[in-house]
Amino acid sequence: MSDFLQQLGEGKIDFVGQQTVDRISRVWLIGTTIISFIVGFLLQSLPLTMAIFGGSTALMAVLIIPPWPVFNQHPTKWLPVKSVEKKD
Amino acid sequence: MHTIWSRINNISALLSSCMMGLFAAIALSSLAQQFFQAPLDPSSVSITSLKVAPGKGKQSKVDHALVQFELDANLTPLFNWNTKQLFVYLDAEYTNSKGVKNSVVIWDRIVRSKSSAKFHVEARQKYAFRDVTGFRDSAATYTLRYNLMPHVGALVYGVAGSTNNSIPFPPLAKNNV
Repeated sequence: MSDFLQQLGEGKIDFVGQQTVDRISRVWLIGTTIISFIVGFLLQSLPLTMAIFGGSTALMAVLIIPPWPVFNQHPTKWLPVKSVEKKD
Repeated sequence: MHTIWSRINNISALLSSCMMGLFAAIALSSLAQQFFQAPLDPSSVSITSLKVAPGKGKQSKVDHALVQFELDANLTPLFNWNTKQLFVYLDAEYTNSKGVKNSVVIWDRIVRSKSSAKFHVEARQKYAFRDVTGFRDSAATYTLRYNLMPHVGALVYGVAGSTNNSIPFPPLAKNNV
């Protein structure tokens, strides 16, 4: 039971998933900063800038933070357990 | 990025850097907007009535100047996307008979929107305008100034208009007003 809860709390994703998440977060955040500034500047509205920035960040958080199965498509292949010889 | 917590940590670090960059861009862009803008139309400041009288009650030993003025200003070009409010104030600068330079704010107003940035005010001073050494032989210049307060960025001070000539104070009125 506690094992299951621990897995649930950790929300692990595999290494390929981690690389993907890292790239998505960087591109998305920098892109949304630039877009929200340009749109707000052209329409001269500061609330619009903050709305675009906040909404876009919230959407990204929903897409990236939970351990979706799509990020677990490449589980790590561990080597088989070798039996250890006890030396007296 | 292996657990939820490390993803949250990582994302919030980049998020705070991006927000800092965004705010810096907003502040710099609005400063640039003001810099490249055409200068404001000068506002008109005129004094309609000026009297010097002793104060009331406890202030009876001190001379008070009673000013009524008329202001006509159009500060709408100052409102860009980053302007939160304008603090507009009328101040009187004079050198009193002892040679001390004074600058007294006699009226102010907070302007929060573009529509209220164009105004015509006929009023008397809001705050006590007094000088312990008296207003003999002095003349004051009245200047309408503004302080632009942005949502994010540096405060900007400026002058909207002025009575360009100094207006002498009349002699003390002997009868109590």
